[in-house]
Amino acid sequence: MKTLTDLEYLKLSKGQRLVHRICSFFASIPTGLKNLVLSIGRGIGKAAVGIKDEFADLWNTFKNGDTPTRVSYLIMGFGNLCRGQILRGLLFLLFEIVFIAYMALSGWYWLSMLPSLGKVGPVKEYNVIYDTYVTTYHDNSFKILLYGVLTIFFIIAFIYTWRVNIRQNKLAMQILRSGKKLKSGKDDLRSLVDDQFHKTLLALPLTGILIFTVLPIVFMVLVAFTNYDGNHDGYINNLFSWVGLDNFNTMLSWSGGGVNYSATFGEVLTWTLIWAFFATFTNYFLGMLVAMLINKKGVRIKKLWRTVLVLTIAVPQFISLLYVSKMFAKNGIINGALMDLGWITQALPFWEDPTWARITVIVINIWIGIPYLMLISTGILMNIPQDLYESSRIDGANAWQQYTKITLPYMLFVTGPYLLTSFTGNMNNFNVIYLLTGGAPTNAAASGAAGAVGYTDLLITWLFKITTGADAQYYLASVVGIMVFVVVAVISLVVYRLLPSNRNEEDFQ
Amino acid sequence: MKKIISLLLAMVMALSLCTGAFATGLEGTYDVKIWVAEKMVDLTKRQIEAYNASNTDGIVINATVEAVSEAEAATQMVTDVEAGADLFCFAQDQFARLVSAEALAQLGVGASEIVRTNNDAGVVAAATAGEAIYAYPLTSDNGYFMYYDKTVVPEEDVDSLEAIIADCEKAGKYFAFEMNTSAWYLASFFFATGCVSEWTTDDDGKFISVHDTFDSPAGLIAVKGMKKLVDSKYHLSSSSGSEFASGAGVVVTGTWDYTTVSEILGDNMGVADLPSFEVDGVSYHLGSFNGCKLLGVKPQTNPVKGAVLHRLAQYLTGEECQMQRFEENAWGPSNLAVQASEAVQANPGLAALYAQNAYSIPQGQIHGSWWDVAKVIGDDVKAAQDEAGLQAALDNYRDKIASLFNLDTSALLFVGAWNGWNNADENDTYYLKNGSVTLDVPESDYMGGRIVTPGEWDTDKGFAQVTDGVELVKDLGADNGDNNIVFAEAGNYTVTWDGTSITIVKN
Amino acid sequence: MSQANASQSLKRHMGLKASQRISNTTAHIVLVIISVIWLIPFVCILLQSFRVESTYPVGYVKPEKWGLDNYRNLFNTDFPRWYVNTLVMALCTAALQTVIVLCMSYTLSRFRFKMRKPLMQFMLILGMFPGMLTMIILYRVLKDLGMTQANSVPGLILVYVASSGMGYYVSKGFFDTISKSLDEAARMDGATRFQVLKKIILPLSKPIVIYTVLTAFMGPWGDFVFARYIAFGTSSGMNVAVGLYNWLNRDQIANNYTMFCAGGVLVAIPVTILFMCLQKYYVEGVTGGAVKG
Repeated sequence: MKTLTDLEYLKLSKGQRLVHRICSFFASIPTGLKNLVLSIGRGIGKAAVGIKDEFADLWNTFKNGDTPTRVSYLIMGFGNLCRGQILRGLLFLLFEIVFIAYMALSGWYWLSMLPSLGKVGPVKEYNVIYDTYVTTYHDNSFKILLYGVLTIFFIIAFIYTWRVNIRQNKLAMQILRSGKKLKSGKDDLRSLVDDQFHKTLLALPLTGILIFTVLPIVFMVLVAFTNYDGNHDGYINNLFSWVGLDNFNTMLSWSGGGVNYSATFGEVLTWTLIWAFFATFTNYFLGMLVAMLINKKGVRIKKLWRTVLVLTIAVPQFISLLYVSKMFAKNGIINGALMDLGWITQALPFWEDPTWARITVIVINIWIGIPYLMLISTGILMNIPQDLYESSRIDGANAWQQYTKITLPYMLFVTGPYLLTSFTGNMNNFNVIYLLTGGAPTNAAASGAAGAVGYTDLLITWLFKITTGADAQYYLASVVGIMVFVVVAVISLVVYRLLPSNRNEEDFQ
Repeated sequence: MKKIISLLLAMVMALSLCTGAFATGLEGTYDVKIWVAEKMVDLTKRQIEAYNASNTDGIVINATVEAVSEAEAATQMVTDVEAGADLFCFAQDQFARLVSAEALAQLGVGASEIVRTNNDAGVVAAATAGEAIYAYPLTSDNGYFMYYDKTVVPEEDVDSLEAIIADCEKAGKYFAFEMNTSAWYLASFFFATGCVSEWTTDDDGKFISVHDTFDSPAGLIAVKGMKKLVDSKYHLSSSSGSEFASGAGVVVTGTWDYTTVSEILGDNMGVADLPSFEVDGVSYHLGSFNGCKLLGVKPQTNPVKGAVLHRLAQYLTGEECQMQRFEENAWGPSNLAVQASEAVQANPGLAALYAQNAYSIPQGQIHGSWWDVAKVIGDDVKAAQDEAGLQAALDNYRDKIASLFNLDTSALLFVGAWNGWNNADENDTYYLKNGSVTLDVPESDYMGGRIVTPGEWDTDKGFAQVTDGVELVKDLGADNGDNNIVFAEAGNYTVTWDGTSITIVKN
Repeated sequence: MSQANASQSLKRHMGLKASQRISNTTAHIVLVIISVIWLIPFVCILLQSFRVESTYPVGYVKPEKWGLDNYRNLFNTDFPRWYVNTLVMALCTAALQTVIVLCMSYTLSRFRFKMRKPLMQFMLILGMFPGMLTMIILYRVLKDLGMTQANSVPGLILVYVASSGMGYYVSKGFFDTISKSLDEAARMDGATRFQVLKKIILPLSKPIVIYTVLTAFMGPWGDFVFARYIAFGTSSGMNVAVGLYNWLNRDQIANNYTMFCAGGVLVAIPVTILFMCLQKYYVEGVTGGAVKG
């Protein structure tokens, strides 16, 4: 691939530029891959050096340290306490006590069970006296996995804190040696609302994300390597265990008799991409159009039109979409009205025919999506400098030319990242599909042991069907989830590279 | 172990016979969570009060009754048994799934005896996995029949599917029969032509074999009949009685919609058993599933509470409570005494159901994934252009059924021509998983077959693997390239595959 | 300018005016059509909620008999409980989530610290996992904390709020548009970071604060998947979405359909009113933030 100079690039027409960008993107893949491998190699090398340095530093600090520093290797915060930094010292000490207590009381148990995910399953016994069967429950694979992961998180946090504790001792020694004063507890508190303010602000949100987003995701990724499902729920019926890459083999293998998960996945993925494309762009252009219409000079009661449209945002979707779904039923009011008008003689198969159903969900999605785009583009359109339009009118441009030469490029530039997020958002648009069709009509070719898959099913609704299906195959859902992640990540990466507004965030400051 | 248990059981039986009531010390207050259908919440609360007042054991039930639909109860229980209700109602199709998820407590000896003596046989089978009973029958009315609007369908047409379709099209009214989204309804056509899908489980609710003949000449006739219905402009895939308010002229549904439909149609409401359809001049009466609703007890860790819950469940499914359910909501009883009562016999909805029962088959136990696999047939048949397309729909179904077992590497397909070489058809195909299959082999020219892995027809297990019962099989020597098992004479055989060898026993 | 030229320009002017009038009329007609299409479903739901002659879905729109029975009957069900649950959730979530999101986005917009970029990239990647899956595990975590079934209100608030830091994107974009020189000037005068946030940034951020409050407030009203999971069949722990959704089950729809519509109307009213009043800020927030991030 020839690399163009800036001047050559600028000479190209728009279309050529896009082609060029796409070509150079693909041309850059091999180099990119090479760089990736190299950078991973470099990263590993760097990490190795880093770890070596860390250990060297630990050793040196210990060798050169005074007694409080050396004791701090065992009793965290000891150095701080000796040097009068009571607050810090106590916090370190408290953390260490909590950690040791946790590990001794339960952490060690979870960790030791993690490799096996439990040994003793439930036992059912007959009780003669009461003529009943009673069950005694034992290990709980689910909890072992969950708390095992949590314990690993905790251990990492502990090692990090311990390292900070050592480093602070080193720093304190340096500061004292140079004759300065150490920060007092009061100074520490003050810095938390000043130079260290970001730590204060981030503490709560990040803890929340760690426990309620990161932990569940790590857990679900791990589930893909187990046989966790309704019949191996880990506690009540059978324990579950590690199965390695079996689930990925099942999902990705093309052979396999009647079940063909990869074919199902392919079918659903294709429709998911088609859907995301149309859902995003129909909304985008129509929403922009409606916004322009409302913003048009001379259009009155602008607020009313906006308010009417915005109703679809304000009314919860489970009400509106469920109703709309019924409206389009074979004996729903849309078909009824059309027949009364004499426009059709038999009901239109909105939900019965695959192609009709697919088009109908896209059209109804316009109803849901336009208002958002209308609101967003209203704001942006107002920001377009009016003199651009004035001068273009003087040059004799008509409305269409103004649209394609000024409005659209401006919009595309500003909303590029938004388009990308809304594309990936639409790929995971559970509500619209689930409430409107539930995936129907069924796709015989794609359905199989992983449940009945429909022509309008997205990956996300399929995933939901798997988890709520007869066998509740969580492990399979987890594999699908990972694949969704991969697809979304790849698309994001590719599109992001192609975006014209791929720009520095500092530009807007 | 087995011996000990049976000894214990004998002791229990003896004890219970001597003393009447063998468990004492049940008095106390118990917190019990109960899930029932929304319509039953009030009645259930009253019934529990009555139980508190009437029981002689000093049991006081402090019940929390929640409205959780029968379909959802099973899903919830499978999701988290621990948090689930102590007693919960569910439809029969969820039974096997609940047993294999250990969400149901097995009934003790006494309780099992009560269930067996008081309920009709089909219902008892529905609550049984292997030899063990796991739930209490609550109703025996989970079947469907036809409601129709007398102004749309004249009385003389109700026996013919074709006539009803024509009437509906003429009147511009819909014929609602759930064909695209529910295997439960769609199986009706297959049962009409004598197809079966019979599944067997072991004591733990695991499916070990299936005899499924949907993909057969009879099945092809069935889908031809189905095609007539789904191709009609006025076919509606729904089973909700309220469709009568939205332009339906006929709805196939069950007794639970009786009040709704009679409210909408008033005097114009007609009920009848399902009609017949005609293919190539032969008439086939539509069949149906005949199922029931069950009450399950969650497995307990404490035997005392377990015993109390079972007593309560026995009361709630007993004669008195079933009668109340029938009187207040027209739920068809499973209790033989209530079934025989005059009021039940006189109920028109149940009368139609009982008329349909002549053509229905007991639902038995069916693999949870079957419902998903089979419901696809409806859309497939609709999309089919010709007979080849219909056959393709059945083939697709067959593959999917095979794959249910294929997921398990030990799953095998028992395929053959037990009925003679030239008569080989899908009727002779069985799927089994580490288990046995019983074959009825009539006198014919071939009487042979083999065990293969579904989808990979070349990995045969057959003559070479037979260890016990070799004398029952012909040794064809070099002529047996396919390693077939060919029976020496007609008869009824049980063939068992344990993973490495085949055992054949003549019954 | 000559006479002829002037008259020509006048003519053109008048022509322009006429064509403008035509295009304006067309615009209005189109807008009316759009509005009608947008309103039909809502009007239908409203009409159904006043239908008293029957409770099941019917094939016509206009009730034969009008009345408030459906609304009255709502009070004989658990609906008021669900409504209060949802309202509590919405208010708490709105308050707490706003704090979290603003902390997060302000920090990421204003501070430059070592882990900032990796943190943002990490969250971007996290956001690519389908959240649907984490439901199962969140359920178990909440169950261990005793926050499911009857206690699902605090549990749901916890989950909504705890993971809300991920949605910092829009408001960070908004903060990015506020000039940094303001902060710097104030810092020169000796204000702490906290004072800068309180005294300078927040007053300027009214639109984004309202936008965040509004989106957080609207969330709990429509959650019918996760909330159902957490409530686990316990009526007293349900939100309106779960409760109403259950009424459309096969065995309940015939008795509860019109009541579902009435409930839907009651749910839609507060959210809609709030949304209408604060629409202006919503637009400012979303255009300031969503686009420029």
